[in-house]
Amino acid sequence: MRIAFAGNPNSGKTTMYNALTGRNERVGNWAGVTVERKESLIKKVYYDGGEELVAVDLPGAYSMSPFTSEESITSSYVKNEHPDAIINIVDATNLSRSLFFTTQLLELGVPVVVALNKSDVTEKKQTQIDEKLLSEKLGCPVVKTISTSSGHEGLKEAVAEAAGLKGAGQKAPYVQADINLQDKEAVEAADRKRFEFVNNIVKQVEMRKVFTKDRNVQDKIDSVITHKIIGIPIFALVIFLVFYISQTTLGTWIADWLVAWIETFQGWAGGMMESANPLLYAILVDGIIGGVGAVVGFLPLVMVMYFLIALLEDCGYMARATVVLDPIFKRVGLSGKSVIPMVIGTGCAIPGVMASRTIRNERERRTTAMLTPFMPCGAKIPVIALFAGAFFADAWWVSATMYLVGILLVLLGALLVKRITGQKYRKSFFIIELPEYKLPSLKRACVSMLERGKAYIIKAGTIILVCNTVVQIMQSFNWQFQLVEEGAESTSILAGIAHPISILFIPLGFGVWQLAAAAVTGFIAKENVVGTLAVVYGVTNLIDTEELALVGSGNEVATIMGLTKVAALAYLMFNLYTPPCFAALGAMNSEMKSGKWLLGGICLQLATGYTVAFFVYQIGTLITTGSLGTAFVPGLIAVLVFAAIIIWRIRKSDKEFASTYSLHAA
Amino acid sequence: MTLMEAKEGEEYIIKDIMTDDEEMEAFLFSLGCYSGEPITVVSRVRGGCVVSIKDGRYNIDTDLAQAISI
Repeated sequence: MRIAFAGNPNSGKTTMYNALTGRNERVGNWAGVTVERKESLIKKVYYDGGEELVAVDLPGAYSMSPFTSEESITSSYVKNEHPDAIINIVDATNLSRSLFFTTQLLELGVPVVVALNKSDVTEKKQTQIDEKLLSEKLGCPVVKTISTSSGHEGLKEAVAEAAGLKGAGQKAPYVQADINLQDKEAVEAADRKRFEFVNNIVKQVEMRKVFTKDRNVQDKIDSVITHKIIGIPIFALVIFLVFYISQTTLGTWIADWLVAWIETFQGWAGGMMESANPLLYAILVDGIIGGVGAVVGFLPLVMVMYFLIALLEDCGYMARATVVLDPIFKRVGLSGKSVIPMVIGTGCAIPGVMASRTIRNERERRTTAMLTPFMPCGAKIPVIALFAGAFFADAWWVSATMYLVGILLVLLGALLVKRITGQKYRKSFFIIELPEYKLPSLKRACVSMLERGKAYIIKAGTIILVCNTVVQIMQSFNWQFQLVEEGAESTSILAGIAHPISILFIPLGFGVWQLAAAAVTGFIAKENVVGTLAVVYGVTNLIDTEELALVGSGNEVATIMGLTKVAALAYLMFNLYTPPCFAALGAMNSEMKSGKWLLGGICLQLATGYTVAFFVYQIGTLITTGSLGTAFVPGLIAVLVFAAIIIWRIRKSDKEFASTYSLHAA
Repeated sequence: MTLMEAKEGEEYIIKDIMTDDEEMEAFLFSLGCYSGEPITVVSRVRGGCVVSIKDGRYNIDTDLAQAISI
């Protein structure tokens, strides 16, 4: 039988779902974390019967009438898919609001069990809820639960109650009168009655000592964190610390240690295969172990970052970050809610883009989905770390700059989209629930980190492995399917394919086929940039450049690539700000629901990557050497063409706007 | 007056939600923010204010605060 989990946002549905099923779906302390329906079997530990129980986790909703698209998933599921029972997770700290939705669920005829969640928090506030009386009033079982604690109090009871009610039906304590649902006033009058009914119940079952409207410690914290002046510096500091710890200090230290292990393994494997076929040796040792190893070496950076982001998501800061940035984002035509997709996007752009679903305004939602990939994701960290290490001696400012430029591009991109879509000033009301702060759970952060670490390794062992093998083979053979001889690398299939593309990159300072090949494989997965570079240049130690310096080979990686620092920076930025991997483009497509927007988004990303790299390389070269870089004029022409297209689009939409609002007929 | 002029920490009764955005009005309703219900401005922050409606805390922007008359 299927049990649906429904309730208000941030009441703890997914936390309970994870506990019952053993899954690790994303949870966080803000409203709107879950944007999709998820299904999984409930573990036998929580249920004695023989029947299989399927838990269905749904996005949070405040009522049966949907406001945003993820809320409509919930109402249409419980209405049309006939679950066998509903566990209605109720935030016990906000009974007076939650029961509105509860009474609506009770009218569906599906047996409902109310889980009074967060009952530890109500206890702390000395709020007493008479659950027996509540159960009587609602006509359904009520169970007190704490899904965050390791004891999972009440979960087993809630499941047992729900399982026992299969086929029982549900009597509603409050039935809405038969009204015309098209009539706005009649609907409102009915909803008022429903709230009255709820208020009456709450009055009888709840005894409060602490009132929500009174200022408390939380509000004092808020007044600092969302302060008019220091709110933004605090946000910047928090984000900086996350990246600094993961990519410049702790993460890199662990990575150094891991890379030593991988190298030892590669040396050992190489020794075992010394007498083997040279082609096989190249594919296995250089291609697979070297290329995949190069990617895996960066795993600690990614894992440390996921750990820190999980702490951030759990403590309640995310909702505050939207408050702090809303005024800025509003100016460029987005809303504070666009911040959450962008922060999640620093982990992975796919859930980031999906998180834009909670934005109600269609244009804002599409723009957010389009721009989220500008925030460097976890897969781009190896690329950043590689270049920071090889060319800039692991300077802290490299990764910080990449995120800063990402943010600037988001704001700039949003402004452009605003101009192109011809959106003039419009009231876009912003409201977000401020959840209570809580101490972030270290256990959950560890679980999240390990889960992502596992996904990263699986990706390295599948997509990256296949790509590296293909790249290695394409590099080993020429068009006549003969082994490429040493010194004639440019006759390989890979060079043949990548060379025409690399011509386009000459004005950007990196017009060689190896780098073009790496950039192209990056569209399959961004880690591939590192893997492919490792394969085409035959280097594996991409992190510990200090050690290399000690060996005496100087800055080996940098030397082999033959790039200037400026060109390297341009190449790095090109890879970060071009379109993301295909999977992220797929996510963009499904959130935008418009081919025109998707195409526009991809073109914007391509143009941005190209333009940024062009200016970084040309201006940087001018500053460092006193003269412009290679092929300045063709590059400038390309950039001017992009600019002309954008200006033409803006003009066109301005005209359309003027004609729409003109009082005279055309 | 609107919520913009409300004193911090004082409870007011909502008179009207002045907007032609029906969906937003319905959404606010489901939070318990509709005429006749109490509302308290807890504090003012960057770009808006923090309000207490029923037993929840929300941040709303200036545009929305101006649309709520008390």
